[in-house]
Amino acid sequence: MLQVRDGAGEQLGVLFDRYQAPLFNFYAKLTGDRTLSQDLVQEVFLRILKYRQSYSPGTPFRAWIYQIARNARIDHFRKTPRQVPFDPDMLPPVLPKDSAQAGQESALLHCALMQLPEEKREILLLSRFQELKYEEIARLLGCEVATVKSRIHRAMLQLREAYHQLEQGTAAKRAKTAAADYLPPQGGSHAV
Amino acid sequence: MQCEQIAELLPDYLQESLSGEQRQQVATHLTTCAQCSEEVALWQKLSLLPVEQPGPESRARFEAMLHAYQAGRSEQSPSRFEERKRASFWSSFNWFRSPLGAVAWSVALLAIGGFIGTRFNRPNADTSELASVHRELASMRQLVVLSMLQQQSAGERLQGVSWSRREEQLDPQVLAALLHTLRYDGSVDVRLAALDALGRHGRQPQIHQGIADSLQEQQSPLVQVALIDQLLEWRDPDATQRLQNLRQIPNLNPTVRQRADWAISKLN
Repeated sequence: MLQVRDGAGEQLGVLFDRYQAPLFNFYAKLTGDRTLSQDLVQEVFLRILKYRQSYSPGTPFRAWIYQIARNARIDHFRKTPRQVPFDPDMLPPVLPKDSAQAGQESALLHCALMQLPEEKREILLLSRFQELKYEEIARLLGCEVATVKSRIHRAMLQLREAYHQLEQGTAAKRAKTAAADYLPPQGGSHAV
Repeated sequence: MQCEQIAELLPDYLQESLSGEQRQQVATHLTTCAQCSEEVALWQKLSLLPVEQPGPESRARFEAMLHAYQAGRSEQSPSRFEERKRASFWSSFNWFRSPLGAVAWSVALLAIGGFIGTRFNRPNADTSELASVHRELASMRQLVVLSMLQQQSAGERLQGVSWSRREEQLDPQVLAALLHTLRYDGSVDVRLAALDALGRHGRQPQIHQGIADSLQEQQSPLVQVALIDQLLEWRDPDATQRLQNLRQIPNLNPTVRQRADWAISKLN
């Protein structure tokens, strides 16, 4: 990063190769929008170029890039507010009967995660998928480490609740579908 | 231990950063408490979520952004508002297409033609005005070249390079843009065309310098061979030394090395 800061633009390619996938994964899971995530990743690297002089040696680069990523997202939604708020009903409610168990669980988890408020989803993603330490997350969000831990605990409780509801809903729908499969054909033999 | 106390330790347990004793306490609690153990299981289950991967076009977009930035302009596209404004500006000329409009502007063109004809046929035509029109045209051509060299499509950049050939004397900005293209353009064809365009303006000494400097940085054997030929054609005093330096590069393409040897023998 120091080379990038001192004007070696080509070195940015190395950083891009290292960080574009984790950043994209973070944005895609957070927003559920792949196109927007691609745009935001590009925006992050453009900002690194623009503001590279503000990087001070000794600062953990990972924390710095996530700070930029966070600001890029906030600025984006400030300029273009979401047209349609997230609606859990838009997600596929019933999963295919024959899908593998792991696939089902993963789809349910995805739905449950998307039902969380964005700040809770963000903190879970940062700690679980981006593998940031609680100290790094605290610096990023501008709060105490203890606050980060309690937010993570609360986010997990809510995720568990959402996951349970979805699981029960899916089971009930599947039972209904299965019952419908066993109903006798209508008409014919019941004529008066 | 109660759930409230465990809740304080749980986040650290999840990130595996607890000390041995505390970890043991949490593990013991988890065997007896369904709710807490469910939370841990859910945390572990999150690994089932697939890792989202960016598309292959992401790297190309990044390269384009980097080039655009290095060339001094960001990739930002005009906003919709600006597009609308531009559209409404052009739509105000739609009346030209109507029959009445066609007659009107034919008459106007005839009048302008007549005016120019009488003005320039005079023996003492105003030559300074003509010169200023020439200058404006040249600067417009330069702008076109500069903007085309920054396009994302290699075809358009090639066109930009060929436009630059129309100039008799290269403007410093166009010259810098062409040298940048020669060094960093992603397409070999565009780099070769830039070299050709620069070669035509060999009288400008900074071109010799820029081309000789780019020799060490080129990766494509095609461009390297073309550069060697150009240096041989100009026969600058430091050409032999430059070619010797090129030969020192490890893993140099054998054909390029052969060409450099041949050029050195010709120069001596």
